[in-house]
Amino acid sequence: MKRTRLYLCFLVLLVLGIAVPGLAGVSEEKIKQTTDRILSIVMDPALKNPSKAEERKKLIRSAVDERFDWTEMTRRALATHWAQRTPEEKKEFVRLFSDLLERTYLGKVEDYSGEKVRYEGETIDGDYSVVKVKIVTKKNKDIPVHYRLRKEGNDWLVYDISIEGVSLINNYRTQFNSIITQSSYENLVKQLRAKITQK
Amino acid sequence: MPRGGTMRFIHRLFLILWLIIIPISFFVEAVEASGPVPLSPETVRLTATNVPPEPSVLGDPADTVAAPLEPLAFFHPDEGSVSISEDERLIQVALVYVQPLEPSGEEYSGTLADPLEPVNRAFFKFNDKLYFWVLKPVATGYNVVVPEDARVGVRNFFSNVTTPVRLVNCLLQANFKCAGTETLRFLINTTFGFAGFLDTAKKEFHLEKADKDLGQTLGIYGIGFGFYMNLPILGPSSLRDTFGYVGDVFLDPQTYLITSIPISVAVRAYYQVNETSLTLGGYEDLKESAIDPYIALKDAYYQYRQNKIRQR
Repeated sequence: MKRTRLYLCFLVLLVLGIAVPGLAGVSEEKIKQTTDRILSIVMDPALKNPSKAEERKKLIRSAVDERFDWTEMTRRALATHWAQRTPEEKKEFVRLFSDLLERTYLGKVEDYSGEKVRYEGETIDGDYSVVKVKIVTKKNKDIPVHYRLRKEGNDWLVYDISIEGVSLINNYRTQFNSIITQSSYENLVKQLRAKITQK
Repeated sequence: MPRGGTMRFIHRLFLILWLIIIPISFFVEAVEASGPVPLSPETVRLTATNVPPEPSVLGDPADTVAAPLEPLAFFHPDEGSVSISEDERLIQVALVYVQPLEPSGEEYSGTLADPLEPVNRAFFKFNDKLYFWVLKPVATGYNVVVPEDARVGVRNFFSNVTTPVRLVNCLLQANFKCAGTETLRFLINTTFGFAGFLDTAKKEFHLEKADKDLGQTLGIYGIGFGFYMNLPILGPSSLRDTFGYVGDVFLDPQTYLITSIPISVAVRAYYQVNETSLTLGGYEDLKESAIDPYIALKDAYYQYRQNKIRQR
């Protein structure tokens, strides 16, 4: 019994030792690349100047755009209401929703104050993957963030983020569904547009 | 403090909450009625009758967790409280949640029943005003005066004092590992952590805090949310979690150590200010990114709690 267990431990160590450096997580690597790229923009002293704010925003935006699948996010957030929309409506909604999400995301990035990002591995299930990340704050409270990705050719694109177990897309889905069923899709678009032009 | 005293404290607390805050909330509601988000009677009627409760029909993760504990299933308060037929409910749930085909093992939430929506929305507005008019200005001032390290220290101290709440819930959840870490954490932080102001257990021994509460324990036992309750001051909760909260108050040593009600209220208020000073901006972010902040907060609470029950 004891020997079997020892052997097992050895085997596990062996497998881990070989496998870990080889498969450092394909989707995790993508998240890491994007995060590092964004952080380097945020930390760049040359871009800290207020006059460069627009340029900085644009750079962050392009880094985010590259990794996020806005259409998939919108499709999931609208859920059953997505199929009922015309292609033009879909296109418009994707634009509005991604605008709102980018704003939210950019706002968070702007708040960055040297928190560390700890990568805690990935779980791949076919074409889907979850990358687990922990934001280590100085306030003795770590924030677990899960990125959900989908394989697109050779690339992995994010279609949902959950923070402390709260999925962003699920949250919007509940809101969208509530607004559409209680008033109308047109009203939702109106509210969304108002939200974006608010600032 | 004798048991009678504690009961009296809780009784009075609730009396204060319900007697003072309800009229204020409705007042705020009345004042805000002309504001940008009017709550039309149409909306209220629709929500009160049409929104299905927790969709236990289709993969509600909380129910999956509850599955092995069948004998307790009759505790589900949402059972039988639906006015629509099971078929209709199934169709409604299916319509909303079938569309995005999720890969296996993926969580997706339904909605939390909200029969008290008009009252909840009033309390939501009350809490919103409480935050922007009182809590935020106070916490911002406190923020300026007290350095962050000290505020984190206070957070740690309170967290250390409330160890019994987590320890008892670890035991109730038959999670002996977390009962062990909580005991160790308490011993280490009380001694080496200067009465709990430093989280030495985490820093030096990598013993992570186990955030356990009675609402979660009840959820693990298979008791459903019941329905959504946006409590004044305390914020988002549910029928189950409100019971859990009251139970946790009984497990909190502060309830027994501080016998004077004004001091107890002051201590809890101070704790709230300190917490707020460490999370300033979070609520603003939620409000800013949401189309309907009330629904956004409700859903965030629902998902957060479901996740807590799922991961145990």
